[in-house]
Amino acid sequence: MNGSVIGRGTVVRGNVRGSGSLEILGRVEGDVSVSGELVIGEDGAVRGSVSGSHITCSGAVQGDVRGSDAVLLERGARVVGDLTAPRIGVATGALVKGLVRTDGEPALGASRRPATGAARPIAFPARAVAPAPKAEPREDTGDSEPPEPKAAREAPPPPVVPVLAKGAKAKKKRKDD
Amino acid sequence: MAGTVIGEGLSIEGDLSSEEEVVVQGNLRGKLTTTDAVSVGSSAVIEADVSAQSLTIAGQVTGDVTAAERVDLQAGGRLIGDVKAARLTIADGASFKGNVDMDV
Repeated sequence: MNGSVIGRGTVVRGNVRGSGSLEILGRVEGDVSVSGELVIGEDGAVRGSVSGSHITCSGAVQGDVRGSDAVLLERGARVVGDLTAPRIGVATGALVKGLVRTDGEPALGASRRPATGAARPIAFPARAVAPAPKAEPREDTGDSEPPEPKAAREAPPPPVVPVLAKGAKAKKKRKDD
Repeated sequence: MAGTVIGEGLSIEGDLSSEEEVVVQGNLRGKLTTTDAVSVGSSAVIEADVSAQSLTIAGQVTGDVTAAERVDLQAGGRLIGDVKAARLTIADGASFKGNVDMDV
């Protein structure tokens, strides 16, 4: 495996680039560009633009994030800068301040003009959340069951169990009293 | 597991300072400072002054090297620069050009 790690106790002041994957658990003050997967850990921080194929961020980034495949912001991620990737996922608990754009959309023809960025800030929350199939199941497991409607019809009893449990507890309490 | 690994294919231009072990298999240009050990792999190319607790060189280093404990230049390793360390070993087959200061 050709994986690089910038450890928790390490600070890089300068640019990091190259092939292969990179995991940032420490701090980088400069631009980061890798051809492979990029993981920014919980305590990881980057001050500069970030690019990679598949970027998973749980840490802090102050700069633009560009993924050629996907950008996923996990819970606890803090990004101040623009997000660009064909697939973008933002989990609940992640903070974003900037323009979020899923690449390859003909509707957004006027790209790379900083002046137009402020004109459509409302668009990005909806876009950001919609194509996030990987990030969602962890957060809200209760809502992610629509693909099996038949199973749901055939199995109605689950609500009964907690009711019985409550009754049992109540009886026990009465006995104890 | 080493704290920081600069893998083959990755290159850093700038300062890297750390409080943990650093393994370099890629390229580094600038400065490398750590309070722990540094290991320079056979595929590594470093153009930087290196300061560490101990240093093992199997790749190429161009720059002055300072180690609190020891410097080991292994066979196949190549060092161009001055060495300041309490202990120094140079293996048969290593290339070295520079001054040595062993703090006598």
